Amino acid sequence: MSAQVDEQPGGALEAYRALLASRAVERGEPSAPAVDELIGNGGVRPDHELLAHTVTAMGTTGLLTRAARARRFVQSDGVTYGSTDDGGQARNWHLDPLPVVLGAQEWAGLEAGLAQRAHLLDLVLADLYGERTLLHRRVVPAEVVLGHPGFVRQADRVRLPSPHQLLMSATDLARGSDGAWQVIADRTQAPSGAGYAMANRRIITRTMPALHRGTDLARLRSFFHTMRVALHDVAPETSEAPRVVVLSPGAGSETAFDQAFMATLLGFPLVEADDLTMRDGRVWVRTTGRLEPVDVILRRVDALWSDPLDLRADSQLGVPGLVEATRRGTVAVVNPLGAGVLENPGLQHFLGAVAREVLGEDLALGMPLSWWCGDDRQRSYVLAHLDELVLKPLWRDVDNESEFGWALSRAELDRLRARIEAQPWAWCAQEPLPDSSAPVVTRDGLEPRRLVLRTFAVAEGGDYRFLPGGLARVAASMDEYRVTGSAGALAKDVWVLSAPDAAAPPWVERSSRPAAVAEPAPTAGLAPRVAEDLFWIGRYAERAEGTARLLKVADDLTEDFDNRPGSLGAAAMTAVLDAVGAVTTVPAGDAREPGGRVRHLRTLVTDRRTPGTIAYAVDRLVQGSQQVRDQLSLDTWPILSRLEETLSAEQTEESQLQPLLERLIESLLALAGVMAQSMVRDRTWAYIDAGSRLERAQLTVALLAATLAPGRSPVLEGQVTEAILVAGESIITHRRRSAAGLGPASPVHSALDLLLLDVDNPRSVIFQLDRLGPDLELMGDGERRTQVAEIAQRLRAADVHRLAGHDRTALDQLLVRLGAELRDLADAVERRHFVRKAPQRTHVTEWTLGRDA
Amino acid sequence: MGTQTDADFEPRRYRVRHRTTYSYAADVTGCYERGCLHPRETPSQQVRSNTIEVSPEPDLMTEHVDHFGNHSHYVEVRTPHTELAVTKTSVVDVAWPRTDLDELDRHTVAEAVELLAGEADPVERVSYLLPSALVDLSPEVRAYAARLLPGDRPLGEAVLDLTRTIFAEFRYAKGATSVKTTLPELLEKREGVCQDFAHLAVGCLRAVGLPARYVSGYLETQPPPGRPKLAGSDASHAWASVLVPGGTWVDLDPTNDHLADSRYVVTAWGRDFRDVSPLKGVIFTESPSSRLEVAVDVTRLEQGD
Repeated sequence: MSAQVDEQPGGALEAYRALLASRAVERGEPSAPAVDELIGNGGVRPDHELLAHTVTAMGTTGLLTRAARARRFVQSDGVTYGSTDDGGQARNWHLDPLPVVLGAQEWAGLEAGLAQRAHLLDLVLADLYGERTLLHRRVVPAEVVLGHPGFVRQADRVRLPSPHQLLMSATDLARGSDGAWQVIADRTQAPSGAGYAMANRRIITRTMPALHRGTDLARLRSFFHTMRVALHDVAPETSEAPRVVVLSPGAGSETAFDQAFMATLLGFPLVEADDLTMRDGRVWVRTTGRLEPVDVILRRVDALWSDPLDLRADSQLGVPGLVEATRRGTVAVVNPLGAGVLENPGLQHFLGAVAREVLGEDLALGMPLSWWCGDDRQRSYVLAHLDELVLKPLWRDVDNESEFGWALSRAELDRLRARIEAQPWAWCAQEPLPDSSAPVVTRDGLEPRRLVLRTFAVAEGGDYRFLPGGLARVAASMDEYRVTGSAGALAKDVWVLSAPDAAAPPWVERSSRPAAVAEPAPTAGLAPRVAEDLFWIGRYAERAEGTARLLKVADDLTEDFDNRPGSLGAAAMTAVLDAVGAVTTVPAGDAREPGGRVRHLRTLVTDRRTPGTIAYAVDRLVQGSQQVRDQLSLDTWPILSRLEETLSAEQTEESQLQPLLERLIESLLALAGVMAQSMVRDRTWAYIDAGSRLERAQLTVALLAATLAPGRSPVLEGQVTEAILVAGESIITHRRRSAAGLGPASPVHSALDLLLLDVDNPRSVIFQLDRLGPDLELMGDGERRTQVAEIAQRLRAADVHRLAGHDRTALDQLLVRLGAELRDLADAVERRHFVRKAPQRTHVTEWTLGRDA
Repeated sequence: MGTQTDADFEPRRYRVRHRTTYSYAADVTGCYERGCLHPRETPSQQVRSNTIEVSPEPDLMTEHVDHFGNHSHYVEVRTPHTELAVTKTSVVDVAWPRTDLDELDRHTVAEAVELLAGEADPVERVSYLLPSALVDLSPEVRAYAARLLPGDRPLGEAVLDLTRTIFAEFRYAKGATSVKTTLPELLEKREGVCQDFAHLAVGCLRAVGLPARYVSGYLETQPPPGRPKLAGSDASHAWASVLVPGGTWVDLDPTNDHLADSRYVVTAWGRDFRDVSPLKGVIFTESPSSRLEVAVDVTRLEQGD
């Protein structure tokens, strides 16, 4: 694709400079951004020389290659954003390869301003849920707070056992016409994006390795260490080794990746409402074995949804009694329930006055000029200038978003005016900021796009610490003034240059303190929901691999014998295809049509919709993995991405199935390798392993039952047996043993030996049963362990010589019984380990219901 | 005009017994309840005793004073059960003064609004002035309020007329409305129960700028001989209360067409029913349905009982 790009004369940088100059001339309404991040009036900005040099050296072609590389890494790292119609995770994360660079001095200034703001918001939060002096003294009009749905009265007077009430704070910033950063919004409900910032960094480091190596920049990792310490520090005093969980609305939520990646970076389990329960006024995490107390909840569920008893009764995302638990101080919720009230443009309007009242200081960080419509004079101004302003409701909602006056029609402006007049106190207006632009790589060269920066703070040890830089978003097009995910914004990595005399990162000092090195609570048990996902990850991975191996054999035979009906090979082919039908449970298409068999085999590989196909299993494998992202090694994602890519690659009638199946098997082996080599043998691993062992055992039994139980002529049986030994990855051993005269003389006998009873063959059924025992032990399930041992014992007692004889009735019976026993075992595991909570209902005493009602 | 005599303002003692029973078709394995199980103290009411019985025995029951000053209870029952019974028995001394309507009439509605904006505590005033979940200040409500509470009308007269007009224009009908009925719907149907009328009165007062709250409690229903029985008898009751200049609250009962007297026992107050629901809960069960029974007895005791 990059081959078609014409390099611009004078290079990509010159072209960008010219584009900026031409847009500056034709500034209209709304105006083009006032300043550019890369190029100022005097040319390339200081600290940006290396970036500018990189742009020039790479040219548009080189930059496009990097953009494609970044796209591939986003895919292979499994970064998702948004959700699909069926509740899955959408892949709407788009990352520009060029970082935004902030000099050390600029960042230090910004950080100081942000710290002041975070301290102030913290004091405001404590006041609003305490004495409410700011309201009583009319520093802030009471409507602005009391009319905000984020003001959670149920959480009144609940305090975290911490000097800070606002543990996490995020701030959205853009530049004013003088280039200074201005605050456009505070994010305090459950700030998202720090995980994305880290994911961006990991990708850009690999996308632009030379630029990255040549730049001395502040690292991100220490922020997550600080956060970890901060979360431990707010635990109720009673707990010595606090257990922290990250509460997610679920894998279908828009920022599910951010939540799960954050949990991984912090090393805390990701949980959902179904995993938690309330007992004796305390929150517990339900594990497959027992209940374990939870001390701290990092909350990614909005406050109103987090307790169906005291807050929204229709929420399935919360824990009934959570508010009560926070009041009792048995659990610390971060950010506290009610912190969302600070996400309030009305409050922001009065924040300057609050700063003078509370801190005796002016705000260090600027804000766009704003008006509060609850004030008659200010409202008159706003209504007279409606088409020039950004109108912000005090709180945002699906049908209550910011309105950009200049983008509205007459009729829309009239409707907006009526809405404001009906509830004036609920509206604020802001002057639009000119913003800055940053270069974005496109096919037509670099384009200036509006930029918004989100910074992240965490309160720790009396201070606020910041993620150096943060997350930058740039608009979807040159003329787009909305820089939001819903308007298709792209992301950029943000590089804060190291100060020449930068001290050691704060967490190094902190980690020497005993409190900070306290080990987390012993490995938490797994929530039933998580255990179930892990078990099915194991099953689907194995199902995909087993099916791929079988289809490879079937395809081989079909290639050779599809056009030679009546041949011995064709009979073997039919037998194996029948087995494919039995194992996958997908009915065969019309085999008599020319190419019918091949088409059917292709369907079995690539049809995502039909259960039993490889594509179906891989889809479930990926979805399951996304559900439990925090439990899996980061190495998992590139493999899953490769699997998906292999399956979605364009297929034509001519393209061969063999190489496709080989690639699939390769990826699935790599996945098995990650599981085997990178996972600690704990419960997490045990559930995956148990799933894969059970699947392999069941698949093998089904295959043997379909192929060897019927009994066929010896010649045909020889061919079929050979095929299943290939599918069962045991053909080499079989041949070696036969050649050495070691194995049984009959191929059927040998196959049954190898695939059923050989304790040393990792493909045999007995091998799976032997491994299931220790798995069940790790899962704390003695009863099932005994059950497995009994199944294995009966199997060992089998007389293979007799089973492989002319009469296969006994073999058939054995396989039928074994299949049933394995199914019962799998059912028992599901019943015992994956118990969900009973359905949750709410009731309210109705209107007057007296004795005679 | 509902009947009200001097005798209704005499101090007295009541025992209020309120029993709520939920029955289910299958076991409830977890039950979390929030309720107002202890009457609040008010200038016109003292709580002598209060007992709460929950069956099955709760694993945890706690109490705190909520944002509005009410006693709020959290109850956790994890013993599997098909029936949950919560019984509250309170003994309260009640003595409401007559409201001095002449004093109220010293200001017009508009003057009262203006005065309150200056003198009232902003938190209290605004808490009860803003719309709330069940009190939507829709154009319909504003229009209805404008008719009854015009700015130039003396305050006492206006409040009394609001009480009287709702009583006169709306039919008391059980089952006509539910917790989901909105004020515009109520204005359309012209029938409802005490909660609806209280919400409407609150909405009208707020619409013209007077802070108003929703009061939940009980009303003595034993009719004196020869007197008509009051509507809403033997049940929990609800009415409205309005903040007036000087910082006092005046309680009005549009269901019975008069201001509150010593027959009124207060449980709790808030912005609307949602803030003071007598009992609500979240349960975990496979049971597809539940049955609710409420029994309320308000018994007048001799002082010293």
